[in-house]
Amino acid sequence: MADVKPVDELTYKEASQELERIIRSLESGDMELEESLESYSRGVELLKSLRSRLADAEQKVSVLLADVDGTDTLVPAEAADTSDTLSF
Amino acid sequence: MCAWNLVGTTPARADVPWPTAPEGGRASRATSSGEDALSVSQAVEIAAGALDALPLLTVIGEVTGFRGPNARSGHCYFQIKDDAAAVDCIVWRGVYGKRTFDLRDGMQVQFTGNFNLYKPTGRMSFVAKSFTLAGEGLLRQQVAALAEKLRREGLMDEARKRHIPAFCSRVAVVTSLSGAVIDDVKRTLRRRNPLVELVCVGAKVQGEGAPDELIGALGRAAAIEPAPDCILLVRGGGSFEDLMTFNDESLARAVAACPIPVITGIGHEPDTSICDMVSDRRCSTPTAAAESVAPAMTDLAELLAARERRLASATQSLVRGAAGQVDTLAHRIVMAQGSRLAQLRSALDAAARRPCLQDPAYVVDRRVAELAQTADRLAGAIVRDQGRHRESVELLAPRLKRSTSGFSGKRHALELAASRLAHEGRALLAAPSSALSAQAASLDALSPLKVLSRGYSIAYDETGVATSADRFEPGSTIRVALADGEVTGTVTKVERGQRPQM
Repeated sequence: MADVKPVDELTYKEASQELERIIRSLESGDMELEESLESYSRGVELLKSLRSRLADAEQKVSVLLADVDGTDTLVPAEAADTSDTLSF
Repeated sequence: MCAWNLVGTTPARADVPWPTAPEGGRASRATSSGEDALSVSQAVEIAAGALDALPLLTVIGEVTGFRGPNARSGHCYFQIKDDAAAVDCIVWRGVYGKRTFDLRDGMQVQFTGNFNLYKPTGRMSFVAKSFTLAGEGLLRQQVAALAEKLRREGLMDEARKRHIPAFCSRVAVVTSLSGAVIDDVKRTLRRRNPLVELVCVGAKVQGEGAPDELIGALGRAAAIEPAPDCILLVRGGGSFEDLMTFNDESLARAVAACPIPVITGIGHEPDTSICDMVSDRRCSTPTAAAESVAPAMTDLAELLAARERRLASATQSLVRGAAGQVDTLAHRIVMAQGSRLAQLRSALDAAARRPCLQDPAYVVDRRVAELAQTADRLAGAIVRDQGRHRESVELLAPRLKRSTSGFSGKRHALELAASRLAHEGRALLAAPSSALSAQAASLDALSPLKVLSRGYSIAYDETGVATSADRFEPGSTIRVALADGEVTGTVTKVERGQRPQM
């Protein structure tokens, strides 16, 4: 594995893509046994991290606001309210 | 018929021509009712004339009761109406054939033509000589023309549409921040996939200046750092006029030119705006657009579960494969060794089974048998050969016998000849034989040898009979033949002229 980054530093998407790559190369079956076991450990680690991120995910919303001088800034905004009533 | 009761209520007008040849029956009935009364035909004729006198009219109305051109004639019969009135409308086949759009119920259409009264029924119709769309219909036609123009330019080509990731993790939402739509998008994605980060960019979505604000918002959204995976351009439902903002040509071009893929969700199905057509993905509603940017959490969880299974099974099969390979190799080495040994064993067995090793006498026996065979062949050959010869000899014997059958006659003649020859021979020899005997007796009497017997001898020197003493000298050898033999001696003395006394 050339790009071994700590799992926590990967975004969800990066981690997900790396997991898929690992599974594909394992499924292709032309890996050395030692290498495949290493990949497997990494895959399990990625899976665990992805699972916990899914469980703890919170929506992040921001609003792009134009300042007085015309530059745009991102301002954190409220996530969708948790009530399930439809507003329209 | 109440029409008849109207007789006399319509004042006659001088400028309206009377019917030149009113139908006899009706005319007579009309005249019988009073001098001022008009026949229906006359009345209708007056009305028709009045309508004909009207100039060419242009009327805007909503089409209703349109059922397409008449199947037989090709003419169209329907009504046009507004809130308070309606009138029959006719479009002749020739006029309808030149149309630029199909008429449909509910369309606002501008008709140009004249009123006409159909006398047999007295029904008044507006006969259109031409018609064009009006109001929303006109707008729709303009939108369709713009869509066609942009399509020709290739702005709607499938090949132009950019790929949108299946899982967009950062999404810009361009819409009104005050409406319900932004909340709907937020709520939809919070429920579906809270991992999607939303950046809201506000803009007016209808009315004056809305297209420009939306174009600006698209540009600002595209410039956000880090760049969003896609831009949602959404708006809730509204009237056709409300949604006209999204049919704006500049906005459509801005959508097509946006460096970030744009997903549209404008109005509700079946609303389709030009922005929808040029966007990279068109969704029927804002909610559907929001849902399309990322998979649901349950799907992700399922995906992870599936991946966990694949990871486990792939690794397991790799390990099993390796183990299987080792087993196979072990098995192969055993098999290879076994088969090699079996091969050697069978070669050895085969060698051992060779007759020469099984029975030492085999070779001799075989030779003996061969020899016996040869002997048999030889014996047979001799017997056959003898037989052949015997046969030929047996054939020759009678032939020989036959060939000698003439011999006995010849033998007899020969015997006869022989006895005659002997007889003749004896007769021939008798006389000479007795003469010979007489001569022999006289010869015998004259022989020197007879003389010798009377005491005479013969001397011989080395060369023969010596008749002279000169032939000898002392020392020479002298041989003397006597009657019963010879003596040899050496001469001791020679004396001439003296004869020995007898």
